[in-house]
Amino acid sequence: MSQSVRKVIDSRGSFCPGPLTDLFKAYREAKNGDVLELLATDPAAKSDVQAWARKTGNVIEQIVEEQGYIRIVVRVTAKGG
Amino acid sequence: MKHVVVVGGGTGGTLLANLLASKLRGEIDSGKIGVTLVSDNPHHVFQPANLEIAFHGAQPQKYIRKQNTLLSRRVQFLSEGVEKINIADRHLITSSGNELDYDYLVIATGSVADPSLTPGLAEASVNFHTSPWDAAKVWQALSTFERGKVVLVIAGVPHKCPPAPTEAMFLLDEYFRKRGTRDRVELTFLTPYPHAYPAKTIADIVQPMLEERGVNIIPFFSIDQVDAAGKKVVSLEGEEVPYDLLIAVPPHRGARVAVVSEIGDKDGWIPADKHYMTVNGYDDVYAIGDATNIPISKSGVVAHLQAGIVAHNIASSITGADGKQKYNGRINCPLEVGGGKALFVSGTYTRPPKHMQPTRMRYLMKKSFASLYWLMLKGSLEPIFNIYFREKEENGS
Repeated sequence: MSQSVRKVIDSRGSFCPGPLTDLFKAYREAKNGDVLELLATDPAAKSDVQAWARKTGNVIEQIVEEQGYIRIVVRVTAKGG
Repeated sequence: MKHVVVVGGGTGGTLLANLLASKLRGEIDSGKIGVTLVSDNPHHVFQPANLEIAFHGAQPQKYIRKQNTLLSRRVQFLSEGVEKINIADRHLITSSGNELDYDYLVIATGSVADPSLTPGLAEASVNFHTSPWDAAKVWQALSTFERGKVVLVIAGVPHKCPPAPTEAMFLLDEYFRKRGTRDRVELTFLTPYPHAYPAKTIADIVQPMLEERGVNIIPFFSIDQVDAAGKKVVSLEGEEVPYDLLIAVPPHRGARVAVVSEIGDKDGWIPADKHYMTVNGYDDVYAIGDATNIPISKSGVVAHLQAGIVAHNIASSITGADGKQKYNGRINCPLEVGGGKALFVSGTYTRPPKHMQPTRMRYLMKKSFASLYWLMLKGSLEPIFNIYFREKEENGS
C-alpha cells in the first residue's frame, strides 16, 4: 500500500473557478488518505469547497484564515474503486 | 537579420504574426527582420462555430479557411509541425527536419481536446471540441434521437471556451423544443463545478433559466470513466449516471511539443507570466492563448488580446520604441441562452465577471463576430477592438 501524501495547491490570486479547477486537478490524481491543502484569496473558495466536500463525501479537516488568504485542508476519503 | 518564429496557427499565432508584419514592415522589407509562422495545420478553423455546427446543423466548410490566405505576405509560412524546441540554444526542429534559429519565439500551440484521456469516453461519446467534423457528428446524433436521456459531461478542467457546455444545454433544450420532442427527452448536465456556470455571478442568471427549462444539473461531478457497454457515466466517487446519448467536453491537454521540449508541465501547459506572457525564466520566449498555465479562460479573446500585447512588446524591443504593455486578464466570452439571446462573461484578473442579463443585442454581437473574425485575424480591426476592450475601471494587477 502506498503512503498518503500531502499536496499544497497555491491558487492565490486566482478567481473562481481557478481554485476549484486547481483542487479538482489535484483530486483526480489523489488517492484516499491523501491530504490536499488549498491556498486561495478568492472568498468564494471556502463555501465552494465546503459544498464540494458535502456532495462528494471528502472531509475538510481545517479552514484557517491566514493573512490575506484562506487555507483549506481536505482529506481525500470518497474516491471509489 | 533577426528572426521571430511563431509556433501555432490558431487565433493567437495568426494574429500575432500579422501584427508583427504590420508593425515591423519597414524592417522586414529591408531584410533586417524575418517573421516565420510554423503550423502543422494548413487550414484554420473558426472554432466558436462548432456550437453552430453541433446544435444548428451549420456546414463545417463555412468556417474553415486556408491558413496561407490569412497571413500577411511579409510572414513566411511553414506548413509543418514542430518536433522539438530547444530554448537554451534558441533553436527548433520541425517535423521534416528543418532547423530554425530564432531571436524571439512565440509558442501559440493551443490546447488539445483529447477524449482518450478518460477511459471509455472516446468510444461512448460525441463532442463539439475536437473538430468541426466531430461537431457535425453531434448534429447527426441529435437528428436521429427520438427519446431518452441526453447527458452532457464536462470530462476535464480546464477546457476551451468555458461558456460552451452551458450554452450547449440551452441549445439542446431549444433543439428538442423546436422538434416537438422535448417532453420525450431528459437533459442532464454533469459539471465538476458548484453551479451551471463556474462563476457564481453568471450561474445566478443562467442556472434558474436552465432549471425552468427542465434541465437536470448535477454539480461537483468529476468523471472517472464511461461504462460504454452499460451506458453509464461514473464519477470519481462511484456515482453512476445513465445515458442514451452522451455528449462530452473532453479533457484537454497542451501540445506534445511542450512536453517533449520540457517547456510545459506534465499536461503540456506552459508556465508563463500572466501579464507579459514571457515563459518563466526567459525574456525572448513567449507563450500565448490556450497553451499557457495562466489562470484565465482558454478562449479566443484571451489569445487575441495576448497576441496584441506580445506583438507590441516584441516590436518595441526590436525597434527600441515605446514601453512594454501588460495584459490585464480581460475576458469577454459570449454565452448564448437560446431564443436569440446571449450575455457576455466579462472580467479581468482583478474584476470577476459581473451579473449580466441576456439580450437580443448581445446575441447579435456574438453572431456578427463570426463574419468579422477573418478580418480580425489580419489585424486590421485592432483599433476598434482596442477601444472596445479598453478597461476604464483599472489596469489589472
